[in-house]
Amino acid sequence: MNRTGQERTCSARRSNSAALALAVALLAGALFGCSHANSLTSSDLSVSFNDAHGKDISLKLPCSNNCTTGALKGKVVLVNFWATWCDPCRGEIPSLIEFQKQNADKGFTLLGIAMDDDGAKVVQPFVDKTKFDVNGKQMIMNYPIVIGSDSVADKFGGLWAFPTSVLLTRDGKIAKRFIGALTPQDLQYIQGMIGS
Amino acid sequence: MKSKQNRKVRGVVRHWLVRTLWAAVFLLVAVGTNAQSGILAPASVVKPRAYVSLQPIPRGKQFEIAVVANIVAGYHVNSHKPTDPYLIPTTITPALPKGFQLVDTIYPPGQEKRFPFSPDKPLNVYSGTVTLRLKLTAQNNAALGPATIPLTLRYQACNDAACLPPVKLPLSAKVDVAAATAKSRSSHPEIFRDASGR
Repeated sequence: MNRTGQERTCSARRSNSAALALAVALLAGALFGCSHANSLTSSDLSVSFNDAHGKDISLKLPCSNNCTTGALKGKVVLVNFWATWCDPCRGEIPSLIEFQKQNADKGFTLLGIAMDDDGAKVVQPFVDKTKFDVNGKQMIMNYPIVIGSDSVADKFGGLWAFPTSVLLTRDGKIAKRFIGALTPQDLQYIQGMIGS
Repeated sequence: MKSKQNRKVRGVVRHWLVRTLWAAVFLLVAVGTNAQSGILAPASVVKPRAYVSLQPIPRGKQFEIAVVANIVAGYHVNSHKPTDPYLIPTTITPALPKGFQLVDTIYPPGQEKRFPFSPDKPLNVYSGTVTLRLKLTAQNNAALGPATIPLTLRYQACNDAACLPPVKLPLSAKVDVAAATAKSRSSHPEIFRDASGR
């Protein structure tokens, strides 16, 4: 989680008026939340888009990493369905980290939707601890990660294989679907949509 | 005139037979694969079949169930001991009826293979045909006569480019329990002779 996100989480906990709840929240924050760069936030991430039939879809998905308010608004979003047990998914993460790093300030973001059956219990330690070799640098996942489910995947048109990525335009329309790890050509296509 | 009518009827029947056959083929293909992506459905990747080593099984005697799993060409599943703790191992689990006891489960060793998505780190996988074996005992309180032992094969398959969600495939083994003194004969020795399991 970035600095703003950490402050937002801690601030939300302090806003509870009940003294006991405040004490518990502060203790929990001290133990688990505010001191950790990738801690599980109590907030959900809002994801809005038009499905394949043009229907407005609005989802609130439990955040696992790097979620900030308005993280997706007005941006080209590459929704990446992945799972910790999926080797090709993990294989493409270094290039996703690099792509996010290069394009985060150009109105683009990646959104990882983790599809592990055990949800945050498995995903959170993976996101917190796993470092990836990105051009010789050890890096953690630098883009928002949320916990998904089959019903969430269905909203995006279903999921038959991992990884699957769905490209959303700035106005939330599904532009393209990529099944399997993204190729340099795929990234070039996405880059074209972002603009340089 | 009559033979002309017969020919016409035969033509119509043939036409409908051909159409029905094509529809059946289309349906079979559509059920097994995803039409949009050409990727197999997870449950279609492995075709398992269970074999029992003894028929009948005298009470008190140890026997084996072998699950011979044929994995579709171009796909692999993780072995029982994958190289990474996050990977999902292949498992076979029996739901034993009363009177049966599981002694051991024997998994074949996997093969170390490299894939385009993991060029530096080989993965321990099963591909082709593998045999998973369960050693069991029919105890003295096992009901005499035919019985079914339900099994669950769990695996997670990938091809060279993508992975499929993990799946639990149900199958069953048919056994026939006899009195402790009953004579029995080996069944499918060609499967149970091969101790390596592959």
